[in-house]
Amino acid sequence: MLAAILAAGLGVGATYALIGITYNIMFSASRVMSFTAGQLGMIGGVLGALFINRLGLPIPLGFILALAGCALVGVVTEIIAVRPVLRALDQHLYVLSTLGFALMIQTFTAIEWSTEPQPFPRLLGIGNGGPLDEKFWLPLAACAATIIGLELLYRRTLVGRAFLAIAEDNFAARALGLPERNLRMASFAMAGAVGGLAGFAAGELLLAFFANGPNLNFYGFVPVALGGLGNNRGAVIGGLALGIFQQAANFLMGGVVASVAVFAVFIVVLLAAPQGLFGAPAARRV
Amino acid sequence: MPITRRTVLCATTATLALPAIARRGLAEEPIRIGWLATFTGPLASPTIGFDRGVRYATDQINSRGGVNGRMIQIISRDTQGDPSKAVNATQEVISREKVHAIWGPVNSGELLATTPIMARFKMPSLVAGVVNSLIDPVKYPNAFRVTPSNIQWDGAVRNYCKNILKAKKVAITADATGYGTSAHDDSVASFKKDGFEVVYDGVIDPAQPDVTPDLLRAKNAGAEVIVSWTVSAGMAARMMNARGALKWDVPIAGHPALGTGEIGKLVNKPEYWEKVYQVGYRNCSYGPDGKLPKADQDFVDSVRGKIPLNDTSLWWVASGVDSIRLIAEAVEKTGSSDSAKIIGYWNTLNMWPGLYGHYSFTPRQHNGFLDSDVVMSKANSQRDGAFDLAPGYA
Repeated sequence: MLAAILAAGLGVGATYALIGITYNIMFSASRVMSFTAGQLGMIGGVLGALFINRLGLPIPLGFILALAGCALVGVVTEIIAVRPVLRALDQHLYVLSTLGFALMIQTFTAIEWSTEPQPFPRLLGIGNGGPLDEKFWLPLAACAATIIGLELLYRRTLVGRAFLAIAEDNFAARALGLPERNLRMASFAMAGAVGGLAGFAAGELLLAFFANGPNLNFYGFVPVALGGLGNNRGAVIGGLALGIFQQAANFLMGGVVASVAVFAVFIVVLLAAPQGLFGAPAARRV
Repeated sequence: MPITRRTVLCATTATLALPAIARRGLAEEPIRIGWLATFTGPLASPTIGFDRGVRYATDQINSRGGVNGRMIQIISRDTQGDPSKAVNATQEVISREKVHAIWGPVNSGELLATTPIMARFKMPSLVAGVVNSLIDPVKYPNAFRVTPSNIQWDGAVRNYCKNILKAKKVAITADATGYGTSAHDDSVASFKKDGFEVVYDGVIDPAQPDVTPDLLRAKNAGAEVIVSWTVSAGMAARMMNARGALKWDVPIAGHPALGTGEIGKLVNKPEYWEKVYQVGYRNCSYGPDGKLPKADQDFVDSVRGKIPLNDTSLWWVASGVDSIRLIAEAVEKTGSSDSAKIIGYWNTLNMWPGLYGHYSFTPRQHNGFLDSDVVMSKANSQRDGAFDLAPGYA
């Protein structure tokens, strides 16, 4: 019983964590909270099912194409919904532009894909629905691979350091000659791929369903707030904690009451630590 | 102008001929039926089936010369599942199109908004929603339900759990939609009233990725049957998958959506869809001999190749046929499309034999569907839109 709850909690939590990382990557590059993060997860699942189930492509090729498709959506997000509002960040117009674009993505998927959940292919065929089933640990593996990959990228490569420079101070980075716009687009492409990876790895749990986006948007934001904005490791810990707590609450209290419990705890945590459990208070120059 | 014998003769002839001309003009006036339904959007699946029945019955009646020489004209409007659009469509077909009767909208949320409007215009209307409050012969004397109510669905499930499955402890689940929440509350109350022990009840978010914790609670509580009130194929399939993964050999019984074809694609193994029983209808169910009741079998045989049935439910098509026939028969028997006469005629129906079921109405009872026509079916047995009766029925 405990194993079943833990497995489901970790699987779902890792998915939330990946969506949280997607938020963070987009935020670091642009200072914009893009509410397309959840939709990228939804598209990852839908494209995976489209390429593998419907078009019959081999799983590795379907995986690469799904991630490429999501990366493309990430770039389009930057061009359509983020770039035009960057000059008026203080007016928070990005809330409207990114939410509007997210709604367009969802509606387009509903029309072109299906309004009913569609099956996602079994990727490895490991497990029989129990706690060791691949549908629970694939999101965990994807989450681990992403966090290690991002650490290596940011710490060991020149491009990664350029990403960090942009995130730290984009005016200074531009003054140093870094191609800020190209790096921002690359960040959004990377965010798209990570969001797509979340949806693809959790496809067997979430199914290929056009309405997954808002849920992922919502629950994916919680780890960001818990872990501290821009802190990927915090997002992972926050996501996993959220998943386990949510599944435990489902078991102990059930359904909708469990959702209330999750958000009650979330609010209490933010009241105690407004900057998130792993975030530092923002410094203000005086 | 001088009055001549010729003028008087012409005037007299015209005066005598006028009523006949007027009668002929009236006789040719079509019977206009408002057909309001969700033709597009996520809730459009039932409409596809209903519409096939509506078109079939209309074409059949018109090809035989109509009703007393009057053709049936269907005036359809797409409500998109949106109550505000349904309200606009209702007002438009009544005020501008001057319809004689209305069939639809076909979901309860829209009907809750449109039923009072139709009542204000005394518009004869056939109701295809299951929410109990839609029918009230005092407030809405014009509204007649031609599908079972929630109470009848619930009754069929309860009877099956009690008399055939011999269960005493039940787990009741529903999705967190308006319909699910209301069905959950009604079902918990009625099961308790009927002497069952409700060991678990929960309203679950249909987007919840895994329902294993919820089923574990129900299993630990000793549930002998899971009652499910969800229209979400995803949630129903997740429940069956979780039941299979837990190796829990417990039946699931409930909403007709348990038999939707989408579930067949979503269950991890075909056997996870076994021992699942959905609300069904005797007329649209295959008996132990593998055949439908005669009228429906004849209908299916006659439309084979003309109306696709394998991608929809037979009862949706049958309900569409019945509704048009009910309106047509009221006009035929009363010789009028006057609202009061249509309503008066429907109030006299007793065991009217439709394809979908038998309908009986009185001025005080507008829930017309016969209780015994609501049965349980095997959810994974769909052929030509109909299902096998669940085990235990004669």
